[in-house]
Amino acid sequence: MIRMTLRQFRLPALAGGVLLALAAIYLLRLGNATHAARLPVDYHQTMLFLAGGAGLVPAFLGAFWGAPLIARELETGTHRLVWNQSVPRRRWLTVKLAVVGLAAMAAAGLLSAALTWAAVPVDRAAGDRFSTVMFGARGVAPIGCAAFGFVLGAVTGLLIRRTLATMAVVFLAVIAVQFAVPNLLRPHYLPPERVTVAMTADAINRARMLGGITGAPIVGGLEFPDAWITHTSELRTADGRPLSDQAFDTCFAHAPKTGATGTFGDIAVCLGELDLHVDLTYQPNRRFWPFQWIELAVYLGTAALLAALGRWRIQRDTFA
Amino acid sequence: MQTLHAEKLTKRYGRRAALLDCDLAVPSGHIVGLVGPNGAGKSTLLKLACGLIRPTSGTLEVLGSVGFVAQDTPVYASFSVADHLRMGDWLNPAWDAALAERRVAEVGLDPAQKAGRLSGGQRAQLALTLAAAKRPDLLILDEPAAALDPLARDAFLRSLVGFVRELGAGAVLSSHLLGDIAQVCDYLIVLGAGRVQVAGPVRQLLADHRPATLEELVLDYMSRAVAR
Repeated sequence: MIRMTLRQFRLPALAGGVLLALAAIYLLRLGNATHAARLPVDYHQTMLFLAGGAGLVPAFLGAFWGAPLIARELETGTHRLVWNQSVPRRRWLTVKLAVVGLAAMAAAGLLSAALTWAAVPVDRAAGDRFSTVMFGARGVAPIGCAAFGFVLGAVTGLLIRRTLATMAVVFLAVIAVQFAVPNLLRPHYLPPERVTVAMTADAINRARMLGGITGAPIVGGLEFPDAWITHTSELRTADGRPLSDQAFDTCFAHAPKTGATGTFGDIAVCLGELDLHVDLTYQPNRRFWPFQWIELAVYLGTAALLAALGRWRIQRDTFA
Repeated sequence: MQTLHAEKLTKRYGRRAALLDCDLAVPSGHIVGLVGPNGAGKSTLLKLACGLIRPTSGTLEVLGSVGFVAQDTPVYASFSVADHLRMGDWLNPAWDAALAERRVAEVGLDPAQKAGRLSGGQRAQLALTLAAAKRPDLLILDEPAAALDPLARDAFLRSLVGFVRELGAGAVLSSHLLGDIAQVCDYLIVLGAGRVQVAGPVRQLLADHRPATLEELVLDYMSRAVAR
């Protein structure tokens, strides 16, 4: 059954291999440039862009290697040919998932290794490899995500039984999961640390954003040394209660003129005099590798559950 | 020794019963013809026999291993004829490579030809070879010749009889074409409205009933099923 799987996988493997080689060549050249650069942080924008691109890899693997794996057989009726050989259909499914799944993980692992290496000087300079966007394009986490995307594609194909529909659904689903995991799941892999930061005028000027769309008393884009900030509370007064919208609005719209400079000028001075603070929740940077392994385990565990679902359905369902 | 043995065999799709309380006992060593109008449950019975689907209730026992030729004889379009034989070798422990290669040559299939470019008759021959070269005890064919022209159909049925003789196997084939059944089958099952209308050796059925030809016999039982 392994030889049969490899024979059927020949064309998709060839197409994937060509793209993988092109990407690897680009990353090697990029890596040579970043390692030789005097100001590696110049490549920060490129790294953000590449992290986004790396997020598409599991989606493509799911749509182009995973989705057709079963759906194409059911669509063309060849399942009636292959299931009437002497291989039970559960083993047929398991071998297909294992062989192509390992190839998907190897491809993602190679890409991640090349990108992680190319990013070493940039990460060292910018210190943000633990950030929401970068983390998923470093280390071993992409291997898990690729396995998940692939198995999701194959098993969804078993349920939908239409190749094109499966490809579309899986592509979007894998992208959605990659937005959900860093924002909803990853902050809770280990119990976060908490710290209270006084919001002096200086501290406020270091924030990237002040005030919500509805005028809520919030700050955003604060930084805390050697940490990934997972949650920032609203501005709070000395007694721990949220700053009232009214008081915030007063400073925001009618701050006394002091001639202060800084990002937020008079507003920062006005707010700074109110003795405010925010409560930050964060994950220290030393947890980067524990988090990498946890994320790998989360994705691989989910992929294994999906594979079990597929094995159950392929035995139980009726296929005309 | 029985090729097929069914007791109270029932298969429902939702509320519709494709087969209802069917009892069957087909002795081994026959080429069995399965006939009946559309929706009579022919395909359902054959898919149950090869394990592609499972009965809702009742039992169906099949003698030994089964080689199945599905309706429309599906093949992998991107695989060559030789690839298909290799697949048979990979996926079947009892694969008879010599038999497969000889048969492919006899029916004039080019091993290098992609299966997607074969004619309907050639594709059916390839599917039959794949089913037979795993040396099954029973060949099951679901409307294998329905889409073929008369010449290809005749060649296909000859191949089928040849395989059955060579393997010492039984065979069950469903067909709308009573001429095909009359040509190769020596045992007949008439299905109608999800039930077995009649089953028995062709010669005995013809001796016991007044209609003189197989065609009249089948039509007689089919119309009885409709009248009921």
